[in-house]
Amino acid sequence: MSVETHAHSNPHHEHPDVVGSRNRLGVILILVADITFALGVLFVYFYLKGQNVNGMWLPPASDTQSATSPVSSSGAWYLAIIAGIGLLSHRYALMGARAKSQSQLVLGSGVAFLLSLLGLIYQGMQINSASFTITMGAYASCYYLIAGLNFMHLAFTVFISLGNWNRSRLGLYQNDHWHVDIVEIWWVWMTVSSLLGAFALSFT
Amino acid sequence: MTTVMEHPASAPGKPAAKQPLIEKLNIFTAFGLGIVMAILFWYLARTFLPENTEGSFIKTRLDAVTIIGMLGWFFGFMTGIGALIGPFRWLLGRDLNHDENMFYAGKDQGVKRYFRYTTDHKVVGIQYLVITIIIFFVGGTLAMLIRMNLGRSGGAWLQPQTYNAIVGTHGIVMIVGTIIMITGPFGNFIMPIMIGARDMAFPRLNALSFWLIVAAIPPMLSSFFFGGISTGWSAYAPLASQAPPGMDGYIMFIVIFAISTMVAGANITTTVVRMRAKGMTWNRTPIFIYGVVASVALALPVFPLFFLSQVMSAMDRALGSTFYDVRGGGSGWLYENLFWIMGHPEVYVILIPAVAALMEMAPVFTRRPLFSFNVAIMGIAGISGLSILVWAHHMYVTGWAPLLNGPFMLTTELISIPTGMLFLVLIGTLWRGRLWMTMPTASIYALLWNFMIGGITGIYLSDVPVDGALHGSMFVTAHFHYTLMGAGLTGALASLVFWFPKMTGRMFDKTASWVAFWLVQIGFNVAFMGMFFVGLAGQPRRVDAYAALFDQGNKITTMAAYTIMAGMLVLLYGVISSWTNGAIAPMNPWHAKTLDWTVPNPVPLENFDVLPVVTSDPYGYGKAQS
Repeated sequence: MSVETHAHSNPHHEHPDVVGSRNRLGVILILVADITFALGVLFVYFYLKGQNVNGMWLPPASDTQSATSPVSSSGAWYLAIIAGIGLLSHRYALMGARAKSQSQLVLGSGVAFLLSLLGLIYQGMQINSASFTITMGAYASCYYLIAGLNFMHLAFTVFISLGNWNRSRLGLYQNDHWHVDIVEIWWVWMTVSSLLGAFALSFT
Repeated sequence: MTTVMEHPASAPGKPAAKQPLIEKLNIFTAFGLGIVMAILFWYLARTFLPENTEGSFIKTRLDAVTIIGMLGWFFGFMTGIGALIGPFRWLLGRDLNHDENMFYAGKDQGVKRYFRYTTDHKVVGIQYLVITIIIFFVGGTLAMLIRMNLGRSGGAWLQPQTYNAIVGTHGIVMIVGTIIMITGPFGNFIMPIMIGARDMAFPRLNALSFWLIVAAIPPMLSSFFFGGISTGWSAYAPLASQAPPGMDGYIMFIVIFAISTMVAGANITTTVVRMRAKGMTWNRTPIFIYGVVASVALALPVFPLFFLSQVMSAMDRALGSTFYDVRGGGSGWLYENLFWIMGHPEVYVILIPAVAALMEMAPVFTRRPLFSFNVAIMGIAGISGLSILVWAHHMYVTGWAPLLNGPFMLTTELISIPTGMLFLVLIGTLWRGRLWMTMPTASIYALLWNFMIGGITGIYLSDVPVDGALHGSMFVTAHFHYTLMGAGLTGALASLVFWFPKMTGRMFDKTASWVAFWLVQIGFNVAFMGMFFVGLAGQPRRVDAYAALFDQGNKITTMAAYTIMAGMLVLLYGVISSWTNGAIAPMNPWHAKTLDWTVPNPVPLENFDVLPVVTSDPYGYGKAQS
């Protein structure tokens, strides 16, 4: 391999766009893993539903326990709506960052954080209020798996949206805003995964 | 300790400046906090979790307590090593400054940087090398115990449950060891230099991927104290659901390792896609880079399914969910599908970088260009693509979807075509070359021989009727050892000798490398040929005793296995003696043409003073302009 050595201008301090572009690809690749995981969860749901082994997808009532009644999927759709509004709020913040509007950035990211927190609490309440336990058949197991995954996603969203709001508040995005761009990628996936969960739970 | 962190000088009479937190954390704080948190979590779980009663949300309290204790270990260890500092500093808006980043990179810290959350890719590469050696030492010792028990019919010096636990632990430990043996040490140390980058794209994620593996090992080894892994490495459900709490160690090990694999996959792929030197087009990118990227990019989508299978296994064991329990609407086939969708590509995650490393060495030691670079890339791409479409050939005899047996047989046999392309490239490069006979050169021949046997026996096993007869026999065990060890490990050992001068600044002891090579290769071929014969004769795998009929083959295999161990110990001696007292290596001892040989020994912190610009391909041996 022939090599020439040219000094790049300021090689130790890359342009924020270069760093941002690289980080965006890295986040997307990590999301590939999470997307595969989420699709795997959907596969589990529909596989067990389709197999209905021993008629125990939704077990009927027995001497020892009552029948498993599926939860209404409306709760999952409400969560998807919360995630969607969170995404729009974050998008509003990103537009503020691009327009160098600090107040819009702080407001949008703050609202996005509050919505992620609301979603997390609501998801927790949903898990607590299910009328069955995880042991009551394959549907119950899958429901807790999907709800648990969404809970974990929301917990992570709370973390990054809190950080994003705090950093906006401190004025750290005045020069470059690729962090905000990358957080948006997560919000998009958060919303899509909530939609997928709601979609699956609509088929009982 | 010398660091670049500048502390404010203390005025006379005033207390000394406080040492920053990141300077205090190291492997000792990690183990300390991990153990404290494990005990704390275990105690809290034991105190507050309800007993196993009707209506309790806990199904098996012992499993729940064990898993919570291991989670405590995990969080404690990762906090103690400093993995959480970066994310929380980001959250607080106090990003790491230049001095702190230099500290994380291990600047001027000497040997202490190897025991910290150091981000320099070269340190991470060495850390991976050491942990791989440790993993192989553990797995190899377990293999010797297995062979000792199988040394004569009747076995009987190990209890059957203990034997099964040793077989299961050996299996999964070696699988993990072989997955990281190339992409870990050489993918981290060599790859960024080879593409002309200063470091990986995400140095902190790089350190994270390594320390996650360290965090995963204690739960795994602790399983011996909780009944072991009695299911074999595949941990089939519902067998795993009924296994002792040692199974929880396996689950935790896989969950943590899968996260490490995903992180490393994203990091390495981003590095190669975004950080290649100016002028390094895809046609000028060395074949080893393709091998590493194919391996980690293949792992990226398949390991999450392994992760998922183990999360559900943990839920079945601890919470009483019924994913794999047919009484509750679950299915064992579900586990097998999720497991093998990962399990078969994983073979190529191991093999591809090993073959690519030898393809990288072949032009160096023949002084000829790589024969048909494009065919090599097509072969790697073909194997990667087909490998995710073959998983159910592991399930022919389970009764799952018999109508799909034919299509899966076809896809499996098709994979021999891109595999044949890689053979063609290696043979074409060696053909009429003027060989510089070194241990890596001999390893290319060894790989061709071993992989041919592993590949052809694989074609037999992909055939539905033949698999019906041989499934679950020692023939299968011999087959996959021929691929993973005969091809994969051979490539890894050659890589060690080849890149040792760049990684340590010392030449690898030539005598030790040759003695180890012949002991390992002869021992390996005798051991696993013997295993093929007893397998064909009907000896089942994962059984601690056998009929007198199989005595001779097993005796030969056991003796040959100890020959392999002797070879590996010679190699270990070679590593230690060469690293401490070996001849000082010149910058480019093999006269190779890739960028990794253009940097001095020891490699500077940021690899290149000025970033290189590549103007030709890396295999231009014999060309005037190269």
